[in-house]
Amino acid sequence: MLSRRELLSRCGMGFGSLALGNLLSEPLAASPLTSAGFARSPELSNPLLARTPHSAPRAKHVIHLFMNGGPSHLDTFDPKPALKRYAGQPLPGETPPTERPTGALFDSPFKFRKYGQSGIEVSELFPHVARSIDDIAVIRSMHADVPNHEPSLLLMNCGDARQIRPSLGSWLVYGLGTENQNLPAFVSMCPNGYPIQETQNWQAGFLPGIFEGAYLDTQHEEIEKLIENIRNPRTSMRRQRAQLDLVGKFNRLHSGSGRDEALDSRIQSFELAFRMQTEAAEAFDVSREPQHIRDLYGPGVQARQILIARRLVERGVRFVQVWHGAGQPWDNHDDIGVLHRKLAQECDQAIGALLVDLKQRGLLDETLIVWGGEFGRTPTVELPKKGLNDGKINGRDHNHYGFTTWLAGGGVRGGYVHGATDDFGFRAVENRVHVHDLHATILHLMGFDHERFTYRHAGRDFRLTDVHGRVVRELVA
Amino acid sequence: MRRGIANVCLPLGILSALLGASAYCGSEVKQSEAVDFFERRVRPLLVEHCYECHRGVSAKGSLHLDSLAGLARGGVGGPALNVEERHASRLLSALRYESLEMPPRGKLPPEAIEVVANWANMLDADLISSWSEEPAALSETNSQQPNSPGGHWSLIPPEQPPPPEVKQLAWCRGDIDRFVLHKLESAGLTPAADAAPRDLVRRVTYDAIGLPPPAAQVAAFLADPSDQAYERIVDTLLASPQFGERWARLWLDLARYADTKGYVFQEHRSYKHAWKYRDWVVEAFNRDLPYDKFVVAQLAGEQTPDPPSVAPAAGFLTLGRRFLNNPHDIIDDRIDVITRGLLGMTVACARCHDHKYDPIPTADYYALYGIFASSEEQPHAELPPQLVDRPAPVEPVVFLRGNPGAPGPQVPRRFLTCVAKPAAPAFSHGSGRLELAQAIVDPKNPLTARVWVNRLWERLLGRGIVATTSDFGVRGAPPTHPELLDFLATRFIEQGWSTKKLLREILLSTSYRQATTPASATAQLAGNFDADNTLLWHAHRKRLDLEQFRDSLLAAAGTLDLTLGGAPVALTEASPASRRALYGLIDRQNLPAFFRTFDFANPNTHSAVRARTLSPHQALYLLNSPLVLDAACGLAARSVPPGAPSADPTAESPARIHRLFEFAFGRPPTTEEADAALQFVNAPSESAESVIPARSPWNYGWMRTDPVTERLEFINFPHFNGEQWRPGSEFPHPEFAFAQWTKQGGHPGRPSHPLALRFVSARSGLANISITLRHPHDQGDGVRLRVIAPTGQVLSEVSAHHGEELATAQLEGLIAGKPLDFIVDCRDADAYDTFELFVEVAICDALGKTVMHRSPDDFHGPEAPPLDRWQQLAQSLLMSNEFIFLE
Repeated sequence: MLSRRELLSRCGMGFGSLALGNLLSEPLAASPLTSAGFARSPELSNPLLARTPHSAPRAKHVIHLFMNGGPSHLDTFDPKPALKRYAGQPLPGETPPTERPTGALFDSPFKFRKYGQSGIEVSELFPHVARSIDDIAVIRSMHADVPNHEPSLLLMNCGDARQIRPSLGSWLVYGLGTENQNLPAFVSMCPNGYPIQETQNWQAGFLPGIFEGAYLDTQHEEIEKLIENIRNPRTSMRRQRAQLDLVGKFNRLHSGSGRDEALDSRIQSFELAFRMQTEAAEAFDVSREPQHIRDLYGPGVQARQILIARRLVERGVRFVQVWHGAGQPWDNHDDIGVLHRKLAQECDQAIGALLVDLKQRGLLDETLIVWGGEFGRTPTVELPKKGLNDGKINGRDHNHYGFTTWLAGGGVRGGYVHGATDDFGFRAVENRVHVHDLHATILHLMGFDHERFTYRHAGRDFRLTDVHGRVVRELVA
Repeated sequence: MRRGIANVCLPLGILSALLGASAYCGSEVKQSEAVDFFERRVRPLLVEHCYECHRGVSAKGSLHLDSLAGLARGGVGGPALNVEERHASRLLSALRYESLEMPPRGKLPPEAIEVVANWANMLDADLISSWSEEPAALSETNSQQPNSPGGHWSLIPPEQPPPPEVKQLAWCRGDIDRFVLHKLESAGLTPAADAAPRDLVRRVTYDAIGLPPPAAQVAAFLADPSDQAYERIVDTLLASPQFGERWARLWLDLARYADTKGYVFQEHRSYKHAWKYRDWVVEAFNRDLPYDKFVVAQLAGEQTPDPPSVAPAAGFLTLGRRFLNNPHDIIDDRIDVITRGLLGMTVACARCHDHKYDPIPTADYYALYGIFASSEEQPHAELPPQLVDRPAPVEPVVFLRGNPGAPGPQVPRRFLTCVAKPAAPAFSHGSGRLELAQAIVDPKNPLTARVWVNRLWERLLGRGIVATTSDFGVRGAPPTHPELLDFLATRFIEQGWSTKKLLREILLSTSYRQATTPASATAQLAGNFDADNTLLWHAHRKRLDLEQFRDSLLAAAGTLDLTLGGAPVALTEASPASRRALYGLIDRQNLPAFFRTFDFANPNTHSAVRARTLSPHQALYLLNSPLVLDAACGLAARSVPPGAPSADPTAESPARIHRLFEFAFGRPPTTEEADAALQFVNAPSESAESVIPARSPWNYGWMRTDPVTERLEFINFPHFNGEQWRPGSEFPHPEFAFAQWTKQGGHPGRPSHPLALRFVSARSGLANISITLRHPHDQGDGVRLRVIAPTGQVLSEVSAHHGEELATAQLEGLIAGKPLDFIVDCRDADAYDTFELFVEVAICDALGKTVMHRSPDDFHGPEAPPLDRWQQLAQSLLMSNEFIFLE
């Protein structure tokens, strides 16, 4: 006997109306996606084949620029003139508890000015990004749950602060597959090592492992170090071709006249892998870009990985996450004036270039860019603490009550500011957007109803947004 | 199955047509949308506001709001839903306080009422009547009172059914077969023939011990494929120590076993002694520890008669993720592992609210929570962390919506109320952990034996009788063969909870022995309505899982190390262990891509079945990974026939091919296969064959001059000591004296033995060469360097003595695979001739892309040599479908 779900799928109920059903959960044998490219074979099929979502998507790809550590919204995209006026004075009313004690209000060391037709203010840290401000929706009213890195990173990536849940990228690849079978579907790049929470940030959770992000350490330039087993150091491609032809012969002799989709699919997967060896090497090789494009992105590892991100989405990769660096680089509890400047200098030109470059290629419309950290920073100065920021009173603590994330491309309303924090930038007060709302909105842009996009696990239908989330319609163009 | 759906879809009213229907069914869309919307939006409201009174046997006004059937039928006051005048329906008017005022405690917010109204708008009379006629099956189980034993099939204790009557009694080797055949005959299907002996022996060996059968064993079975011979094979396999290694892995998946804690902030990452739990599980399977004792040992081993002997078993509970030491999450993880793993119940769903579908109230969750909150962990120097009862047990309270900051009513520590007797007393012995364990393995518990035998069946037959092996609840899949499941479960208990006896009975059944190819008439018929083969009209073709696959590679290469037990080893390092994959280190936080690529069970959470994905990354692994390449070399080496090498190596080729097939597939090649293989190894080599882009272009050796022809010949130095390449291990060398290459330069040999650095590019193009040659000593006569093009032409020559010399050269058409040689000689004497050399070759290809190679940056030790034809052939066998699929 079949389950109701299996049964409906057999009667021509496809993908949209069943919210993907049990695409790959137990029992795997009953994959309902026969209409969307999944073989009916009881065994195996390639779960990365491209599929269509619930409704017409606005965006097909995502580049998530993760400023891990928590960039200060007050020094980048959320100007607060009151900070200058009241600098050195205590925050009126009670100071909300954050990770560490903070003191008086602390003015931004950076100047803001208006950009574009929209006249949105951006600080001097991001002049290149600011040039594309009319393509950007700045959400100044983000809020999360707690002022600590670990839970906030998991919340931002997986929609839950503690438990084992799939990441946004994994959800999207589960739902959409990917357009280029010769490249990983979901790539997470971070130079020199992992961010904190490590691989959990791009975990597949309870989804099949194939939907997990492929981590690349972008301090390396050689393809062998970026993708495991992409090259064979002991056999030439020509001989590999001969080997695969021989394998094909053996397979045909083995299966005789009978056809079986699992056997056939496996043969296809070898052909894909063979092509991947050259295609992937090509995709990650930024030296193939003309000089003027490399100049546009500028020097350094940020420029290289952001340019790689463009090359990947251009080739159909579904989700690319670009982390600023190992650990928590934007976590400037002190010396924020110096350190934030340095960090922004490392990535501003490349992010600005990415926006311009995607637009000139006509790719910005179908690529959603997400910029932000796991939270923002306090308008009050962090008090010095032995062993941490000893003797320094020039940084900001974590702030989950209010911070900024911006979106661009992919159906997003450009030149638009959504919501606001209070006069000092501590709390989101107007049109508040929780991380769950951001996720609901991203899924909406990708063509999914976040309430219907589910996966059956442990007896229950799980969602990225759990029981929360609201699509922020104003952000959609 | 819903009758409403069936009626629409079933022109013939039989299962076959239902399953075969591919036409678009309009009513069904409505049906599914309405049901979906109900479950997603409406039911949560009803749960929160109405269930208190309108649920279960004592529902007020006989109005049951806990099922679609109940809603459709209405209560004593009349129908709740009215399609003709939707807005006048009793349900809506009561919610709006227009007639009755419901809920009496206060009117719902308008949005909530709107949700119900929207849902009511989706309904039509057909839908409602289809629900109201619905038999008890699906919806009624929802209406069970949480505290009364459920009517759901899995909660009714199994009774041993008599094996049914069948027509083809001769087909049946045992009772199991009568259950399977009865279903097939009822559907008008014929089972498949027995699998070919070769396929069968391979299948049963992999299933029982996770390894391929040795060729000799296959041959023996082919010579005598009798039932008695098969039975002997099964008994030998079940008695082998590898049996426990195979079946322990199933358990470790359920137990989310790992050797590390997951993300931690500062503490140690590893569970140093986790492997002792793993070894305990292996050993328990090998000595067939009765399943009830096996379970009790893992839940409350310290309270059993012989605690030290079962102490490692505590790892079942204590080796989970640490969740940054959040106690609520740690306990939640333990509740989940126990309830899904042992009972097939998704109790963790009830952490925040009553289970939406199964009769598991939140109070049950916190009853279990209390047991673990009353237990504490003790570190142990040589074992996994141990669990012991706290001196004073915790009296648990419900956390409202799962929030520990919102304590609700107190609950007793006790077992699930849907299984325990209604008036079962609360646990009173310490934490209650032992009582919990005993309640789980109570022979009257309707779930435990069913869940375990179903897992065993799933492993062997490729699909569970209940397909959702860890969810026996209302939303889980119903059993395909309910009587068989009950037969197996009761028999299992009857036979003393012996896993081996049950496995033996299944392995000996005709059902298990079927071929993967169905009877041809059946294939046509059944393909229409049971494409997924749930009725078992043939065997499911299975693919080797990660452990079987990796072990098989090593077995084919003849390098598999069958040592039992011990600390974990790295499976994916530069020189990976040749132990069985079971012994691989499982690092939760940094699980190597190899594990994910081959569908390893997520070690963070209980895992019911492995995913079965197929991706090009798996193919890349087979094409390029060091493990596969080494296995191919091992397999090729084994294929050389024993005895003195033949004078004509080609005469040996057929015998070698024969041996390759035997080692890889356990069978000789067919004529066609042997011909194809022979053609492959004999095909003439191609000129560009030697170019392998991933290899270093630099080769370290010397340049021999043929005394007769005076031709130069490059010879690699055979010895690398970690820093220097030399002509041999002896230094100074009797023939070469001080000759060596280092990262920075080297020392030339005697005048007749010049050093040579050979550069072989993977790319063609324009080569720009820059050289810096430095001779630091002021004594001796210095050194000379010549750059020789592939044509033999000298491109550049430079000498250095007590100083540094620069040189450049250009070669326009460097061809991939052709060598550029840098020859360094000692001039007239080789004393004081240590030199430093920096060579940069920049190759600009036709696309204008430049690739740089710098000699010191690229300096490297020995690289594994390219695969020869035999090794390539061996790898082709390892990549073929036959190697990885089980017929």
